[in-house]
Amino acid sequence: MSGRVIVITSGKGGVGKTTTNANIGTALASMGKKVVMVDTDLGLRNLDLLLGLENRIVYTIVDVVEERCKLKQALVKDKKNPNLCLLAAAQTRDKTAVTEEQLKDICEKLKKDFDFILVDCPAGIEQGFQNAVAGASEAIVVTTPEMSAVRDADRIIGLLEAKEEITSYKLLLNRVRPNLIKSNDMMSVDDVVEILSAELIGIIPEDTGIITSTNKGEPIVNDEKSLAGQAYRNVARRIAGEDVPFLDLEEPKGVLAKVKKFFSGLKGKEK
Amino acid sequence: MDKGYIENGFIVDVSNAHKTSEIIYELSRILDLPDAQSKKVCLKLGSVDLSVPELTSIKALVESMNSEIEFVSTSSNVTIKSAGEMDIEVSVLENKVPLPEFNANQDKVNKELEKALDKIFGDENSEIKTFPAESTLTELKKEVPQEYEFEENIENDDINTEIEDLNSESDELKGETEITEETSDVKTEEKAEEIFEKEIDDEELIKHLRETEKLPTLYIQRTLRSGQSITSDGNIVIIGDANPGSEIIARGDITVWGILGGIAHAGSEGNSYARIRALKMNAIQLRIADVFARRPDSINIPYIQKTDTFVPEVASVRKKQIIIQKLH
Repeated sequence: MSGRVIVITSGKGGVGKTTTNANIGTALASMGKKVVMVDTDLGLRNLDLLLGLENRIVYTIVDVVEERCKLKQALVKDKKNPNLCLLAAAQTRDKTAVTEEQLKDICEKLKKDFDFILVDCPAGIEQGFQNAVAGASEAIVVTTPEMSAVRDADRIIGLLEAKEEITSYKLLLNRVRPNLIKSNDMMSVDDVVEILSAELIGIIPEDTGIITSTNKGEPIVNDEKSLAGQAYRNVARRIAGEDVPFLDLEEPKGVLAKVKKFFSGLKGKEK
Repeated sequence: MDKGYIENGFIVDVSNAHKTSEIIYELSRILDLPDAQSKKVCLKLGSVDLSVPELTSIKALVESMNSEIEFVSTSSNVTIKSAGEMDIEVSVLENKVPLPEFNANQDKVNKELEKALDKIFGDENSEIKTFPAESTLTELKKEVPQEYEFEENIENDDINTEIEDLNSESDELKGETEITEETSDVKTEEKAEEIFEKEIDDEELIKHLRETEKLPTLYIQRTLRSGQSITSDGNIVIIGDANPGSEIIARGDITVWGILGGIAHAGSEGNSYARIRALKMNAIQLRIADVFARRPDSINIPYIQKTDTFVPEVASVRKKQIIIQKLH
């Protein structure tokens, strides 16, 4: 087995890298793929919290690198899905505890056992970013429709293009609010794609459910009703190679449209 | 009229001053404090002789700071005369606030204090003696199943091999919880009694527990935050919380006067008699020597509400398992 190493990065902080990582990972695993998530945000780890695995971490990536344990010992299994594993970051160390070479080595080893290795990248473009990118061959750039996030994503794409190992990068637009786009208060999806001239892999709507799911340590993809969860599941299918159309995020307006939507929803269920 | 205290005011003691300049310097420093604004001031002047102009300048200073002189206390006849000319009240300061009376028998107090300290710090010796055996047992029964799940020996090869086998991961998890259920219900009920009976007589145990007394103690008076790690060759006492993401590793005991929310590893060199104590035990993981317990998923909440009714808890190893007891 030779897995794909995908780094999830953004440049700017707080745009949803870790949330994206947790959700795509969980979605891919529930599709039957073997997935391992590698948290490289040393000193500010969060991925374990989002997955509700904090209490299970005994060894971290630094323990692996410093040879206090074997790689497989440090892999924390998900509570529900046996296909999903987490290699946690060390909380009490900083980014210099791991080098690019060591991360590359870890990714190479993980490739043998897993279909997907999702690397959660820290914010910024310093050593932490360089480490995270080192072992990856694909990248997902997460951004939000805000000027600052788009600017940082542009910078990241520039850096990714300069790396020979990265063969492809895709754009994931997070926290999109269709009603704001409609009233011209937010950059539209097309605007962002045009500015960054990168291929889109997903559009995730803003969803308050993300907050609850983060607090509960349960990724939102497990929530069948959530629109954001649906969007993340679609992203996972696209990563796996399926051709899935983008979700229509526009909420239908007016009574007639709502009735229409209601009936079309029923039809969908009958099928 | 003698006044022992002033309403809405305070006493400034400048009786050590020998010169007017010293008084003025001290006064301006004190009156500049935010709490001192718009208050009445009593000046304790001591034996220094103050003339009318000097007293006037002091009064002016006090008034310029939005305060007023309520009265002065002095032992100098010159100052009394000056004050009289300026219509400033002269009074003798006496502490009229009644002192609390300590009638209690000193021995009794000491005993009670000792008992209280023992309770707080979980001195095993006195705890066992004061607890009625029955209630302790029910305590044990209650605590074990609810609070924590157990795993033995992290360093143990059994688990290593289990983890290595990636394919049977789900099975392993099931196995883990099964262990917990088994330990919680039937076993502990019978065995706890047995263990406890044994321990009461066991002077060896008490001797072992006293081992950590010989170690040096690291005393920390602040909140331990995420990412901070404290390692000590002796005991560690933290006055404050240990937040989630923090790490405490001690060769001896760990005591947290607050909420323990991070990872705590007591007896890191293999002393399984080491204890972990906290006002509230919410640790992600507890490790004593080579025994390991993690927070169960059902109560896997990173942050807990602070209240004023925490019951101190102590974690110790019994039969290769970590158990947590509440100290009432």
